[in-house]
Amino acid sequence: MREEKIIEILHETLHAEHGSALEMLATSKNATKSSHVNGYFHHAKDEYNHSKTFQSLLAKRANRLPPDIARSYRFSSIGLLKKGYVSKKGFLIETMKLKDFIAYVYTNELLAKDSFSKILKLLEINSGDYIKVSDIMTDELRHHGMAKEYFLRYYPTLQPWQLKCYKLREIIKNKTRIIYYKNIKFLDKVFNPIYIFLSFFAALLLNHLNVKYFHRTNANLMNISSRSMF
Amino acid sequence: MFIGISGYNHESAVALINNEGILIDYCKEESLSRIKGDKSFPKRALSKIIKKNHIKKDLISHIVFYEKPLTAFLTPLKTASSYLPKSLSFISHQLRNFDNSSISCFTDLAKFAPGLEKKLSYIDHHLAHTLTALPYSRKQKDLCSIVVDGFGDRSTASISYIKDMHDIKELWSSDYPHSLGLFYSSITDFLGFNVNEGEYKVMGLSSFGNSNSKLAKIVFNLIKWDDVKNNIVVNLDYFSYHISISDSFSKELIKLLGEPRNPFKKLQPGDKDFQKFADIARGAQDITNVILSKIFSYAYRITNSNSFLFSGGVALNSAALNTLADLNFTKDIILPPSPGDSGAAIGSALYGFIKSYPTNLSIKKPSLFPTAFSIDDEKDKVKKIINESFSIISENKFESLKLCSELIHKGKVIGTVISNSETGPRALGNRSLICDGMNLKSVNYLNTVIKNRSPFRPTAPAMKRITAEKYYEIKSELYQSYFSMTATCKCRDPKANNFPTTHIDGTARIQIVEDESILGQLLDILHPSGVDILANSSLNLSGDPTCFDLIDGLMFCSISPLEYLLTDLGLIKKLA
Ligand SMILES: [Fe+2]
Ligand SMILES: [Fe+2]
Ligand SMILES: [Fe+2]
Repeated sequence: MREEKIIEILHETLHAEHGSALEMLATSKNATKSSHVNGYFHHAKDEYNHSKTFQSLLAKRANRLPPDIARSYRFSSIGLLKKGYVSKKGFLIETMKLKDFIAYVYTNELLAKDSFSKILKLLEINSGDYIKVSDIMTDELRHHGMAKEYFLRYYPTLQPWQLKCYKLREIIKNKTRIIYYKNIKFLDKVFNPIYIFLSFFAALLLNHLNVKYFHRTNANLMNISSRSMF
Repeated sequence: MFIGISGYNHESAVALINNEGILIDYCKEESLSRIKGDKSFPKRALSKIIKKNHIKKDLISHIVFYEKPLTAFLTPLKTASSYLPKSLSFISHQLRNFDNSSISCFTDLAKFAPGLEKKLSYIDHHLAHTLTALPYSRKQKDLCSIVVDGFGDRSTASISYIKDMHDIKELWSSDYPHSLGLFYSSITDFLGFNVNEGEYKVMGLSSFGNSNSKLAKIVFNLIKWDDVKNNIVVNLDYFSYHISISDSFSKELIKLLGEPRNPFKKLQPGDKDFQKFADIARGAQDITNVILSKIFSYAYRITNSNSFLFSGGVALNSAALNTLADLNFTKDIILPPSPGDSGAAIGSALYGFIKSYPTNLSIKKPSLFPTAFSIDDEKDKVKKIINESFSIISENKFESLKLCSELIHKGKVIGTVISNSETGPRALGNRSLICDGMNLKSVNYLNTVIKNRSPFRPTAPAMKRITAEKYYEIKSELYQSYFSMTATCKCRDPKANNFPTTHIDGTARIQIVEDESILGQLLDILHPSGVDILANSSLNLSGDPTCFDLIDGLMFCSISPLEYLLTDLGLIKKLA
């Protein structure tokens, strides 16, 4: 049970790290100043490496699982969109104000460090995996430091207490996100019988749908109305 | 100007055709989002193309979408409704995800740029495939188009006769859910590879399998061609792609073939279970060859045409093409470089052009490198990255090529991010990893160390025409395909059997390069030193899209062991 929990956490963290890599790469490409491009480039590089580390940590454990369970832990970057690690609306830099974005990085690196300490508790002390994850934690702390420095340099009027406010806001946002998804899952369970019930009637209607209308045998495909969605 | 869009089901893409019918830009969303297989509305690709080509709204005559959204939405639902109650969750899921289907293209476009949605029209999905293939053929009238994919907006395979580009009559189609493409994808899934990504791996793996093995024979019989009704028939007891969101095959298939492969287990020749999975792949490949041959034969019978356009996702199965070229009636088989759904954006844009010029009867062949890219957009941005972590060995173009050749001769691997990019899925030299194709150590290093790929997957060789004719059985029927690496061929010279780019079954997916291309120029310089073949693989880590811009290339260098990058800024070396 414990092993599967670890695998589940590794799988989620892998998504989070790969998501950050893509976010930082997008930010690097979006920046105009060469020094900012470089800064975010290196941040993205770290995140890619974290993603690689978690891929190998995951693979090492998941290859011992029965195939049908292991299959559900496959990773593909398209999963980032499905699971919400990258928003369907776009990358943060495409949808946020720069100031909010920097504050976001600042607080999230700190929160990432916290979540890594939780992962460490699940791993055997001083094992190879333990050391790899601690190294990542050091990276995250460095990212946090960089974001803080950057933030204070470009927004010097901001006070440390304001940064604390940002952190608090992010924590609340993260918590509500978790509660939101839990609720959605819960509501899903509650409403599922109703959905299924409705689908049953939809299916009965669909059974009467005549797909002959979709057939195009002997039709000149170039002359079918291109305004129609059928 | 005419814009074509594909998306929502497979990788989304945008194509731009000008008023002369020339493809002037093409971009996949995944190239910009860096999410492999990104199928969301291609907003970044659309922005990039509009900005890069300075297109004002009123210059756009038509925006054409690559399928009929309502047909695409209703067909699977209608099918699932006859499998109650097993299919109830599938139906419920589809209905609740209505807004993720391609029906949203209209609203997504309206959100992207209000007003543009009024220019949107929709064409038959297989027509979009056909029109994508058409400009690559010299003959553009009186020929037959064969489309085979997973599932279009209503059928899974079709045959049409092209009298001319204004008169394309569909003569036969195979109804969903009986699909060769979905059968192959389900086997891909069973073998532990990601669907829409791992089909190549199945093809590579099949060469290690034995057609006479029990498992190959079982898989061979899961799908067949009905000679009386002239149709594809899948034994649906063993599959569930038509009734389930998460499972493509049923428990019955597990009873039949044993446990599916754990995707995390390494798959290496000699390992336990390797032969089992190779035999399964073999069976899938064998029946694919048979069914495609049957479709081609039937197409010949009803159209009397010996020139074929071949497109749709299944046309990516380069191993099957030789069998098709060997059919005694085949004269030409023309494939577009990107026969899958993302490429169909090109055919969609062309539809707009063809409809707007009713007297026009020919379209120019698109470039193999249509995705516009200029280093000027990035030159200043990357200065600090390069100063800090790389060094420019030479800025002079010719000198860079010479230095590259020397490095290749010494066994090094070079990455390229040069000029416009190819459509994919094959890298043809501008976004590639290349090395000496006759040097076993280099090819292995490229394949297993830099790209971290399984050793059973072959790397493709690129060469001049004269070299290709010397070592390989070049088929005139497939000649066009060798330029876009869409076909494999057998070795002619026994020496070629020992080349590291030759697959276990004695075939190679060769690329014939044009003289003026980057690979052509490199081969010219390398020729005196005896290197006439380059190994060529796409510049990406497994699971990531091929690099598009210079930052992607520099990132690849930074997170992989690759040291050298040939770019528009010159030859760049990673600092230790
Ligand atoms: Fe990280
Ligand atoms: Fe980080
Ligand atoms: Fe298709």
